[in-house]
Amino acid sequence: MPRILTRENAIRWAPFMVLLALIVLFTAINPSFLSQRNFARIAIAAAPALMVAIGVTFIIVMGSIDLSMEGVVSLTAVLFCFLMLALGGTLASGGWIAIPVILAVGAATGLVNGFIHVKLKIPSFMASLALGFVGTGAAILLTGGDIVKFDDPTFRALLTWRILGFPLMVYVAGLCLVLAWFIQSQTRLGRYFYAVGGGEELAHASGVRVQHVRMAGFSLAGFFYAIAAILQVAKLGQAESVTGSNFMFMSITSVVVGGVALWGGIGGVWNTLVGVLIVAVINNGMVVIGLPDFLQAAVLGLLVIIAVILSTDRRAVAFVK
Amino acid sequence: MSTFIKDFIEREIVNRRNFLLATAAGMGAMAVPFAFGGGAARAAISDPAIAWSYRDRASAYWNSIVSGGEAFVESLGKPKDSLVSLINEGSSEKSLADIKAFLAKTGGKCAIACDANDSPNARPVVEAVRDAGAYISTIWNKTDDLHPWDISDNYVSHMTWSDEKPAEQTARILFDAMGGKGGVVHLGGIAANNPAIERLNGLKNALKDFPDIELLDAQPADWDTTKGTELMASFLTRFGDKITGVHCANDNIAYGVIEALRAEGIENMPIVAYDGNPEAVKLVMDGKLLATVFTNPHWGGGITAALAYYAATGAFKPSEEPKEHREFYGPTVLVTKKDAADFKAKYLDAVPSYNWKDFWGPSNGQIKYK
Repeated sequence: MPRILTRENAIRWAPFMVLLALIVLFTAINPSFLSQRNFARIAIAAAPALMVAIGVTFIIVMGSIDLSMEGVVSLTAVLFCFLMLALGGTLASGGWIAIPVILAVGAATGLVNGFIHVKLKIPSFMASLALGFVGTGAAILLTGGDIVKFDDPTFRALLTWRILGFPLMVYVAGLCLVLAWFIQSQTRLGRYFYAVGGGEELAHASGVRVQHVRMAGFSLAGFFYAIAAILQVAKLGQAESVTGSNFMFMSITSVVVGGVALWGGIGGVWNTLVGVLIVAVINNGMVVIGLPDFLQAAVLGLLVIIAVILSTDRRAVAFVK
Repeated sequence: MSTFIKDFIEREIVNRRNFLLATAAGMGAMAVPFAFGGGAARAAISDPAIAWSYRDRASAYWNSIVSGGEAFVESLGKPKDSLVSLINEGSSEKSLADIKAFLAKTGGKCAIACDANDSPNARPVVEAVRDAGAYISTIWNKTDDLHPWDISDNYVSHMTWSDEKPAEQTARILFDAMGGKGGVVHLGGIAANNPAIERLNGLKNALKDFPDIELLDAQPADWDTTKGTELMASFLTRFGDKITGVHCANDNIAYGVIEALRAEGIENMPIVAYDGNPEAVKLVMDGKLLATVFTNPHWGGGITAALAYYAATGAFKPSEEPKEHREFYGPTVLVTKKDAADFKAKYLDAVPSYNWKDFWGPSNGQIKYK
């Protein structure tokens, strides 16, 4: 019988244990935390963030970084609303066409991002940050700084229609998670992400077309950012040039807290799921237990550090930069 | 006292003395050019260039400010784009640098309207403008010890808005709708922002007259819609049915609160907001919001530029005006269901045309410091 309590297993399950510990902690202080209704609230908060975090997971697994999410989410959210309104303002009147179009726009922005990074040889950090600013700028240009309301009841069913107590958007996010898992573990592209992240020269020497893999990765990330934008519009009923705000911190923190190593090659979408839930549970729990607001930022920072300490295998790396 | 500490203190004192001497020498050198002309206010610039210095274009508020500035330059027979936008993107350093660049470019022949981004930045900005002989009017941010009349005629005026009274009025409307009893939560702005503090104080003032209403909690939602939904959802877990009313620090937060409640199937919660944005006014008309407060940023944007412009052309002399014409509160208009339709027709459907020489008509009295 294989041993269960190995060091590897401990590290693999550490983020999940952190999540359980947080739930136990918050429930002990305020029992109403542990209720189906509250879990639905946490799930609504986490669904768009999970999509962004999954997108950036692929990039981080490759050992790169993508900081364009805020701009891309804002731009695709605004475009989505405009397109929906132009197509009649309801899903039934042909507005559904906006969904595939916006997903393609997201993938295309990601591709541009990857192209700038790979072909112009600009570090992914800089290329994606700059492209993110372009996205935010374009969103401001399109909206003139105003809010675009979009309130089709059929579309908003993503938020208002509940199955087993959870809104439809939570199930959509779940399906996208399964899709991401499939890409990660069952496709060649998924394996190439790990190959590039684990050792780029080695992957190149083995015949992996590293440049293509990188561009495909950024494009896939853009696709998931566009899903996030659509879910965010479903959640808020509006889009504006700041719709994507806070996603950068939230997603990268979640990815790292979940145990995906920033140096690449380690972790995957399940880690990201746990990471997103940890951050969402902390955010919700701090208010639910009545922590004073001036302590919340500090406590969030401390909990993130503790979660990272527990959930990364620091013995596996010689140095951290 | 050990010799180490003594040596250290002596060394520091010498350093400070050297520093002061060096500073004095530097200031002296800077003052020399002014001793030979320049410096003093040059009245009557014939055709001053006009600029607005503000934070960003990503908000309805600042867009409205700029639209007022543009309406003013058009009233002079100039094209819209003759109003120069100096966008500081939330950086005080950029705010000051842009204004200095504009002063240099126009040789001081300019009139500037400005929100200095944060209070301490107002002094260097107005001093730079005074030293160049140009004219400036500010809004929102300045420290309490900085007054236009202490600087010179070049610092024409300062306008700000007192949010405490209007926030108290919205709270009273909310409490009446709650039947004078129950629990209220407050979703605030960024905790350290002055308007956020004033709007919460307004709520607390109203609470004194409603002993049966409990303030369950007040937490910052950073003026943000997404933060508003998530905070409201957490409040629902913590307080559940105890929440019978919601007081929001601005409209954006209220949009988020309405969506968080909608996700739970809660439709008729009494909610009040602040800012009077077009979407919020529509929500008031639909009965989803009880009230919001309009601060007329269009007028504010136009009149601030107009004050600086007409002082520069010599149309009026700031030092001959009373103090309430140099530091004053801007207008606030309460919007409730009763008057929302009229309000929309008057302010939103067609932008009213203002007399930009009526500088103080809609203003709200001299600024009082606590």
